[in-house]
Amino acid sequence: MAHDVVPWDGPEPLSGPLGVPLVDLLDRVLATGVVVSGDLVIAIADVPLVRVSLHALLSSVNERVPCPWSDGGPL
Amino acid sequence: MTTQHSDSRAASARPDEGVTYVFAVCRSTRATSAWNVTGVTGMPGGEAVRLLSSDLLTAVVQTVPGSDFTDTVWQRRLADRDEIERYARAHHSVVSAVAAHTAVVPLPLATLYHDDTRARQVLDHESDRFHAALKRIAHHAEWGVKVYEPSTPEPSQAHGESVLQPDGGRGAPAPGAGLAYLNRKRGVQVQREKRREQALAVADSVDAELRGLAAASRRLRTHGAALSGDQRVHVLNATYLVADGRADQVRLLVETLEERTGARIELSGPWVPYSFVGEA
Repeated sequence: MAHDVVPWDGPEPLSGPLGVPLVDLLDRVLATGVVVSGDLVIAIADVPLVRVSLHALLSSVNERVPCPWSDGGPL
Repeated sequence: MTTQHSDSRAASARPDEGVTYVFAVCRSTRATSAWNVTGVTGMPGGEAVRLLSSDLLTAVVQTVPGSDFTDTVWQRRLADRDEIERYARAHHSVVSAVAAHTAVVPLPLATLYHDDTRARQVLDHESDRFHAALKRIAHHAEWGVKVYEPSTPEPSQAHGESVLQPDGGRGAPAPGAGLAYLNRKRGVQVQREKRREQALAVADSVDAELRGLAAASRRLRTHGAALSGDQRVHVLNATYLVADGRADQVRLLVETLEERTGARIELSGPWVPYSFVGEA
């Protein structure tokens, strides 16, 4: 790929990082794709933790509204 | 989802030391070595964002206070909407800044190593997996698609009348108030189930059509209406890995599907392919 060498404080053309709804962002940054794991255990990706702590925020893990598909979700 | 627990994992960092936070990994090129990352903010309380290179891969890293990145602190943080938002957005803005320049493998929020040496070791040991992921996502972006059930039709709608008396209506004497009530209740329930089935069918067909344009796809959990404050019923939360050249087709298809199905469909993107860097 041909990429110009430009400083990073330029405009950000990708991924609308500013206006993204938090819930959509969390769907993605909370370990939906993991290549490696870190040294320090921060149990963000653990479903029980997310269920408890992000309960009010991440209604995606609200058991009263279960995912209608068995093939799961990001967490 | 793969979450390997390596032997070197420790329970927590020594509180007085800095640890190495890794945002993303890309290929080492002459261009990456010339990058100026001084304008990138990074995690609250951290030092300057910088590059950490091994032979073939470069990680975008930051030294952050170990005391602020313990499991205990993060469990509290995860329960605090403002806090988690602050950190998630900080993470995302660094990842996006890198991705504006080259293909990157974003790492999950709060991926931490004891120090640079450990982080570099991981780059070397997992080099094949990073390269496979980079190859998979090069010239692709992630597009999120959310489908909502069409808003509730009025109960008095003509369409609903036929289900008000699903049985026993014909030839029977006019039902009493109690029976009428039960039938009405049942009718509402039947309608609701029918609407849900239809919405799920729409979700399936939307997903199938979008998969036709995508290199890969994932279904994420749907967001419940009760807690998100959004009263619409969310029936599809899917995300697609789409070649850059097909982005316009995706936009067009979503518009077409919205018109055809009458469902509310939201498209978000292009995202850095967060959902497609791990082995499926």
